[in-house]
Amino acid sequence: MAGAGTWAGPWTAGPVGLPGALVCVRTVMDSNHHSNYKLTKTEKKFLRKQIKARHTLLRHEGVETVSYATQSLVVANGGLGNGVGRSQLLPALEKCGLVDSLLMPPNKPYSFVRYKTAEEARKAYVTLNGKEIVGDLGQKIILYLNFVEKAQWKELGLQALPPGLMVVEEIISSEDEKMLLESVNWAEDIDDQNVQKSLKHRRVKHFGYEFHYENNNVDKDKPLPGGLPDIWDSILEKWLKEGFIKHKPDQLTVNQYEPGHGIPAHIDTHSAFEDEIVSLSLGSEIVMDFKHPDGVTVPVMLPRRSLLVMTGESRYLWTHGITPRKFDTVQASKGHKGGIITSDVGDLTLSKRGIRTSFTFRKVRQTPCNCSYPLVCDSQTKQTSPSLPGSAREASQLEREHVHRVYEEIAGHFSSTRHTPWPRVVDFLKALPSGSLVADVGCGNGKYLGINQDLYMIGCDRSRSLADICGERRFQALVGDALAVPLRSGSCDACLSIAVIHHLATAERRVAALRELVRLLRPGGTALIYVWAMEQEYNKKKSKYLRENRVSQGKEQETDSDAAAVPVSLGGQVPDVGDQDAPCCVPAIPDCPGEGGNTSDVTDARLPVHTNRTSFHAQDLLVPWHHKGSPGKDKPVGAAGSAPGAVFHRYYHVFREGELEAACQTLSGVHLLQSYYDQGNWCVVLQKV
Amino acid sequence: SINPMEFNPDFLACMIPEVEWALLLEAADTLHLVEVPKGLTEGYEHNEKFLREMHQVLLEVEVLEGTLKCSESRGLFPISWGIPNMPLSDEE
Repeated sequence: MAGAGTWAGPWTAGPVGLPGALVCVRTVMDSNHHSNYKLTKTEKKFLRKQIKARHTLLRHEGVETVSYATQSLVVANGGLGNGVGRSQLLPALEKCGLVDSLLMPPNKPYSFVRYKTAEEARKAYVTLNGKEIVGDLGQKIILYLNFVEKAQWKELGLQALPPGLMVVEEIISSEDEKMLLESVNWAEDIDDQNVQKSLKHRRVKHFGYEFHYENNNVDKDKPLPGGLPDIWDSILEKWLKEGFIKHKPDQLTVNQYEPGHGIPAHIDTHSAFEDEIVSLSLGSEIVMDFKHPDGVTVPVMLPRRSLLVMTGESRYLWTHGITPRKFDTVQASKGHKGGIITSDVGDLTLSKRGIRTSFTFRKVRQTPCNCSYPLVCDSQTKQTSPSLPGSAREASQLEREHVHRVYEEIAGHFSSTRHTPWPRVVDFLKALPSGSLVADVGCGNGKYLGINQDLYMIGCDRSRSLADICGERRFQALVGDALAVPLRSGSCDACLSIAVIHHLATAERRVAALRELVRLLRPGGTALIYVWAMEQEYNKKKSKYLRENRVSQGKEQETDSDAAAVPVSLGGQVPDVGDQDAPCCVPAIPDCPGEGGNTSDVTDARLPVHTNRTSFHAQDLLVPWHHKGSPGKDKPVGAAGSAPGAVFHRYYHVFREGELEAACQTLSGVHLLQSYYDQGNWCVVLQKV
Repeated sequence: SINPMEFNPDFLACMIPEVEWALLLEAADTLHLVEVPKGLTEGYEHNEKFLREMHQVLLEVEVLEGTLKCSESRGLFPISWGIPNMPLSDEE
């Protein structure tokens, strides 16, 4: 450390380029350390941690800190995401001055505080930096503070309850609650046909019909003796009379959740139960997450003694689940009222969970389901639901249905969400010599065709509509298949294959596509290949695809590997899409196979339908695309003029680490020049020998 | 149609050696283009007239509606709005 010397002033950088923050701390500490300018070990350690916090905030969250005093601070390590509640943090902050606002974004390990004056903020910075506080579970937490220009968190769009959802509060009195909870006999009984099993996460009991978790259905031919317990007769009659329910249920499932228990996101099997599903929460409140296939998540507070009514879309299309955790993020001002939890981070706090017992009443269906949500309906997709192809013919058919046809229909909308070129692809193109002939196989809307004016680029895409868009943009493009590119062998100086090969349904076809690229190259030519990775979290960092779980309505969405909309950032790239939604982490709901939910049968070769913006659980799957229609375009959107609101399933084979490399290694006459991971994609650069 | 494009002689200089002249001339003939050089001449890089003619035929002339004929398979591939349509057929 630079030795004794002069500090020019409070805000200049130190001799080794240490941030101004150091100087600020030193200025205060100076008075206690007379003329000793050497930092102690603890001071150095603290400093390292503070700098690390600052870097993490910038790199991972886009939070830019400044080295001069402002009214606002970011409190790293003091957030709802790492177990610090409002009631723990606020008093500590208020000791330093008048707090204008405290913003605690849900699931984040940091918060923002704004003081009335910069002076008070500075006091907080000095006093609280490195200070130890106690978290929600009694754990010791050290806070690191840094100044920020503005304490703000982009507000999410106004949320609405999923259609068909209703929360009826205080539907049961406290006395009745006690009585009903006591009526459940959890004691193990071998003869008890009400089959009480202890699932990994919770205790369960069934009445009326037994629910089988292996196939998420009931056995309609084997009703349980005794039906529903008598104690519920009068209550159900009352609910019917008062209009809270429309049908008398004949199946009851009782679930007991202790703090830390949850249930994976699922849709109750369409063919098993009628439309109306109601659930009574006793003993404790809970937050239940409803998720739309789009990726939109709505957290809903279910207060104690409330009845949750799910009908229509909320029953058939949205999944519901409970995150296994001990605390829920709830609305501070609304206390225990039912309904959506606000996204206003100035009004969030933590609520410790208690033991909650849910009583879910359903009416068993006797006929196949005929709802309006066929894509998620087991009755309606049984015949048509695609499975992994066993032959080239089947593969070709799958690709035709779930790749080519889809892109034809969604071309306009798709193109409008594909405008940000991936930086490393741009680098590759810009490094090519002037006058190079480059083929972009699977060029889509021509995103890369105009990047480098010194190249002669030809785009090739299977979709007529997308190739047309390239033409409109005055690019050279043709309609062709990646397995048989209509260009001369050895004619290209370079090739691109960005987010294409993962649409081919067998390993053979994927390798064949790679071979085509090599065929096109002249000796010494290079090809850049990007495919969607199964591993969406790499080196502990989540890809943009996972991070951007925008709770938006009606906004543009980039829902696959090409997504490049940037999260809220004070110093990073300019957000491309132009919408103001902030990223928020989806609380991870661990996969618990066989425990209720819509997980597909392991023995079933049917392709699972993926939930957007979550981790991949299978390599071959169907990824939904919610068609929104193309804003501002005159031409009809699809060949068939498909309606906005339709859901399309695109087939993908996501690659595991090393898989793309291995495929390349089966090719002869190529060198593998580079292999890397880029924002949720596995990437290689090949060179023809 | 002929779409004006920015004249970039350096770029052209890279492209020109790659040209398959026989095919180029045949295509130009089909399109009834005049002013198409018949081949490379000595010092073509500095021949402004040559370069400009090449610029036009390579980069500016565009077939909007037409047909591409494969000399081997005799397959016909339509061109529409400047985009040739050459997907794999079902039998392939």
